[in-house]
Amino acid sequence: MATTQPAQHPRRSMIYRILREAGAEFEALADAAVAMRYADGGDEVALARRLGLADLSPLARTGFKGRDTPDWLVTQQVAIPDEPGQARRQSDDALVLRLSADEHVIVSDLRTRSELPATLDAEWQLSAERMCYHMPRADSYCWFAISGECATEMLAKVCGVDLRLDKFDDGRIAQTSLARINAVIVRNDLGTTPAFYVLADSASADYLWPCLIDAMKEFEGGIVGLAALRALV
Amino acid sequence: MSGVNRLPAPAGLLVDHDQPISFEFEGKRYKGLAGDCIASALAANDQWLISRSFKYHRPRGVLTMAGQDANVLVQLPTDPNVLADRYPITEGLRVHGQHYTGSLEKDRDAWIGTFAKFLPIGFYYKAFYKPKGAWQKWAPLIRRKAGLGVVDPTVDPGYYDKQYKFYDVVVIGGGPAGMQAAVTAAQAGAEVLLVDENPVLGGSLTYARFDIDEPNSEVTRQRLLAAIKASEHIEVMTDATCNGWFTDNWLAVIRGKRLYKVRAREVVLAAGVMEQPATFGNNDLPGVVLGSAAQRLIRLYGIRPGRRAVILTGNDDGYGVALDLAAVGIDVAAIVDMRSQSRSTPLVDAVREGGIKVILGHTVYEAIGTDRHIKAVMVSRIIRRGQCEDTGDVIDCDLLCVSVGYIPTYQLALHAGAKLHYDDESAMFSISDVPQHMRLAGSVNGIYDLDAVLADGRRAGWLAANALGLKWEREPLAPENTGASGRNFAWPIFPHPNGKDFVDYDEDLQVADIINATRDGYEDVQLVKRYSTVGMGPSQGRNSALTTARLVADAMGRTVAETGVTTARPPFAPERIAHCAGRSFYPERHSSMHHRHLEAGAQMLLAGVWLRPAYYGGKGERDRCMSEESLNVRNNVGLVDVSTLGGIEVRGPDAGEFMNRIYTFAYVKQQVGRGRYVVMTNEQGVVIDDGVACRFHEHLYYVTATTGGVDRVYQNMLRWNAQWRLNIDVGHVTNAWCGVNIAGPRSRDVLAKLCTDVDLSAQGFPYMGVREGRVAGIPARLLRVGFVGELGYEVHVPQHGGEALWDAMMEAGYAEGIKPFGIETQRLLRLEKGHIIIGQDTDAMSHPGEVHLAWAIARKKPFFVGGRSIQEIERRPFSRKLAGFVVNDLAAPIPQESHLVLRDNAMTGRVTSCYYSPTIGKPIGLAFMAPDQAVPGQTVSIRSTGGVLVRAEIVELPFYDPENKRQEM
Amino acid sequence: MKIVPCPLNGPRNISEFAYGGEVELMPDPNTSSSEEWAEYIFFSDNPAGVVREWWCHSATSYWFIAERNTVTDEIVRTYPASELFKERVEFKKESE
Repeated sequence: MATTQPAQHPRRSMIYRILREAGAEFEALADAAVAMRYADGGDEVALARRLGLADLSPLARTGFKGRDTPDWLVTQQVAIPDEPGQARRQSDDALVLRLSADEHVIVSDLRTRSELPATLDAEWQLSAERMCYHMPRADSYCWFAISGECATEMLAKVCGVDLRLDKFDDGRIAQTSLARINAVIVRNDLGTTPAFYVLADSASADYLWPCLIDAMKEFEGGIVGLAALRALV
Repeated sequence: MSGVNRLPAPAGLLVDHDQPISFEFEGKRYKGLAGDCIASALAANDQWLISRSFKYHRPRGVLTMAGQDANVLVQLPTDPNVLADRYPITEGLRVHGQHYTGSLEKDRDAWIGTFAKFLPIGFYYKAFYKPKGAWQKWAPLIRRKAGLGVVDPTVDPGYYDKQYKFYDVVVIGGGPAGMQAAVTAAQAGAEVLLVDENPVLGGSLTYARFDIDEPNSEVTRQRLLAAIKASEHIEVMTDATCNGWFTDNWLAVIRGKRLYKVRAREVVLAAGVMEQPATFGNNDLPGVVLGSAAQRLIRLYGIRPGRRAVILTGNDDGYGVALDLAAVGIDVAAIVDMRSQSRSTPLVDAVREGGIKVILGHTVYEAIGTDRHIKAVMVSRIIRRGQCEDTGDVIDCDLLCVSVGYIPTYQLALHAGAKLHYDDESAMFSISDVPQHMRLAGSVNGIYDLDAVLADGRRAGWLAANALGLKWEREPLAPENTGASGRNFAWPIFPHPNGKDFVDYDEDLQVADIINATRDGYEDVQLVKRYSTVGMGPSQGRNSALTTARLVADAMGRTVAETGVTTARPPFAPERIAHCAGRSFYPERHSSMHHRHLEAGAQMLLAGVWLRPAYYGGKGERDRCMSEESLNVRNNVGLVDVSTLGGIEVRGPDAGEFMNRIYTFAYVKQQVGRGRYVVMTNEQGVVIDDGVACRFHEHLYYVTATTGGVDRVYQNMLRWNAQWRLNIDVGHVTNAWCGVNIAGPRSRDVLAKLCTDVDLSAQGFPYMGVREGRVAGIPARLLRVGFVGELGYEVHVPQHGGEALWDAMMEAGYAEGIKPFGIETQRLLRLEKGHIIIGQDTDAMSHPGEVHLAWAIARKKPFFVGGRSIQEIERRPFSRKLAGFVVNDLAAPIPQESHLVLRDNAMTGRVTSCYYSPTIGKPIGLAFMAPDQAVPGQTVSIRSTGGVLVRAEIVELPFYDPENKRQEM
Repeated sequence: MKIVPCPLNGPRNISEFAYGGEVELMPDPNTSSSEEWAEYIFFSDNPAGVVREWWCHSATSYWFIAERNTVTDEIVRTYPASELFKERVEFKKESE
């Protein structure tokens, strides 16, 4: 695929300038550009297995909230998690996060094969008959992935929730404070590699990204592109 | 050879004889070994004087060798108050003693000690508190004479950080009890953390003598180490201090530059005991050490702590010390046993068989020394409790080891709510009322016999695992023979007629000081502490609490049990502010147009957590830039980033009813496509937020809120509806949207170039209309509002489109002369228009009536939050009112926020906003004042910069365009 | 650091929560006397014992009720506000 620059696309990651500085090679993906790999990135797959941080903000995601949301999602053929605080992988690898009884977030798969976020956004309409309302999560959240065997220990430097792998199963969600800002943390292992998605305030992305990189240093973790994460699955 | 006192290899568990290390103390080079601490390396070189005392500049040296005393606080180039008996030496380390004038060896301030008699406790305060102000003058001089190390503020402290850790069981203390508890809990399946402050595990097994067969303790230690190593469930942290217990077993564990925030489901406290000094004349001379300190020097560091020693004891442990000293070739001149008779135990018998002289029923009356080290002791017969003859035999020695008893390391248990009790019979402290989810094990639990200690550790580990539902074999029984009996000699206190019988080494407090505190009327031990400062030094009463309790009890004619002890609070040991601070986290929010502001040369300012452009231009150009930017809006067109405005969606069948209850105005009948001002009051009727409600659908209000208030507004809404149960949903969408306000007479022209699917004409899109459309191809919500008082549109687009929107606007407006303006300019423009800013022109008492918002209250509604309180307030006379003013004297200093409004020199209010207005041509502002002052045409006085009284004329609001023609163009 | 069991998020450090005061039932704002209203607005019972309190989990803005013993600081029970507030609340003017 041809490389591109984020500013040529209407949808830009909140931190595209930081990624560009770090040597990111961007590839076009729908209406956005995603950091696929980094110049001088070395063996990014090995890094991702150890401790990797990737920006997934350009990937599709959406959200719905309101009393009738679970029912509506079911009519849209979405397999919703049984309980709040759980995420459920769909047959096309999209992930559905249930944040509360009536609030759900739907995020794309890493290969962006899933059409689910786009389909739901297209299907949804504000209706007087149904209490299901759109939450523009592609804009309100930045989306990072933290992968690798050191991910739990590194997150313990910035988060007070017990995320040890035997206590916090794949698919569990913690809505909590991460480096002093609110965040949704969901464990979503990539193949056999433990991994966490972080969804946090998009306006705080410029703050959070370097903060996480600083926390990663002692574990010799680093930035990885989407290609490295794809290789893990 | 690393010092004259070093024993040949392989002596010393911690040191490596093959790795010499050289370092400096007081400018002189010394050789030590890898594994040495500063104090041990100095002791190896016969350097016993380490620092000077806090008040009297007394020479001080090793006392506990366990980091439990302030005698060994030293200065490093980077750090003051470092514990020399814990801090490891490194190549080239430069160490200094602390708290002396001239040199450590010849301290010019040592004379102060000879005046000790004239410096009773409370002396400074009593002597210097009159006349008024005297203390302020004397305090710096006195404090210069008494103080600890020196902080170098230029030193970079390095990278400190914090980390959470989670365990089933945390065992504090890696001695025999703790090691065994960890092994047993792990065997049952628990995830265990074992914390110890020493470099190696083993605790007393590494230095103490439990019985005649000395190697037994090392065999036991190796067996436990192997079991710990073999377990997958035990994590070991050595060189780590658990510095505090906090609610629900949250433990602060410090290791190196990191603070671990450890959460334990169960805690086993196996922190051991602290050996206690005896009280006699000159008991602080270097060379007077605890028996356990001598044992640590020998076994941990391979150091012969003297050549000729005397042991002062009140228990059998002193006999064990004697055997240890003799074993490394020290001439043990005598054991002075305070007891009138000794039992026949293996230790005592071994000493007698070894031919060491034992003197029963005697004590050390005083230590005799040079000004730097002990050279002899005078041994006197005990007449009765606490009293001995004032003459006796002088025995030459360069080492006096003291073994008279212990106190449990009680601090963490007391942090958790346990109580410390004194048993007058055994003369021992014990810990009771240990809270749920904590267990004691080993000597901290009053158990001393090694087999019993191990059994107690096993039991504590088992109980902790069992409490977690982990089953493992049968419950171990509590040990029967604790070995506690006879460990503490009841009254090892022999006041000396000339004093220097120290109770608290940190604070240089002697027996008479404690007695005098009780005579000055401070009869409670807590008050004695506060008055005398006993126990307030760096060692926090570790060496003084027991003696103080005994002395106060005796002076008051009560038992020690009745007297009690002072409270223990975190931290356990002194900790660095850097540990508490950790890595700095300063969350900061950026709008999606943030980088465009930087590129345009904006001065950014922090508004709450948002970085926002104040104005566009150089640092010193604020006034000029604001003037130009504001005039460009008034005459042309300007662009401001309003992304930080809060955004909330209220949606659902009851959305209108909900809006009616949560805001003061009426919303049920608000038309779709219209915006309406919103004011939120709290239950007290105080104005707490404002914004605009845009009705985009029968079931959808898009409500803006203030930048700093939106989170509270959102939580308020959720809380109210948790009670009302209306059919609505509230969505916090602030960070999903960004936006600009394009304002000025030419704003319509510019917008028309970018937005073709909305009728922008004055009739098609009137003032306070709201529309949905596309701007520069980006889906947008358009609000025709007039905050700055000109024709203008707020254009809100999804966050990701912010940069593109900004670029499109700037490009489209090029021909019209569009210029960005900052929030400082926006504040000026809205002030000209007379709009208040919630939180700036209101405070925690402002009700709508006094800040010109009474018009925004719908009084016919059955209910809104704050409505009833506003009714009550409005029935009473107003105490103040917000009014607009102008300053006609252009030479007067412009009033600033919070400058006072006066009447006859009495304050009646304060300025809330004030700027020079280029449009009006003079300074304009808002101020609270008495209602009768707030009448247009009147003049009030404002005390401006430099105390200058400025005349301000009260005028009608707004200052600009009272007919609202501009914004409704 | 105290642990608060949140009905939505499970046990969390108390630093994740904001205290919202005692649960007090509002007297009818249209019929209560000034004294009754002032009592509601400005006074809390503050008893020594188990008290019903509002707590909010900040990261999720989730309000719930905690029954807490003010003497021991023990949290006896937490539950969703809907257990306490079951019915839709209506306000009517006296005249209506």
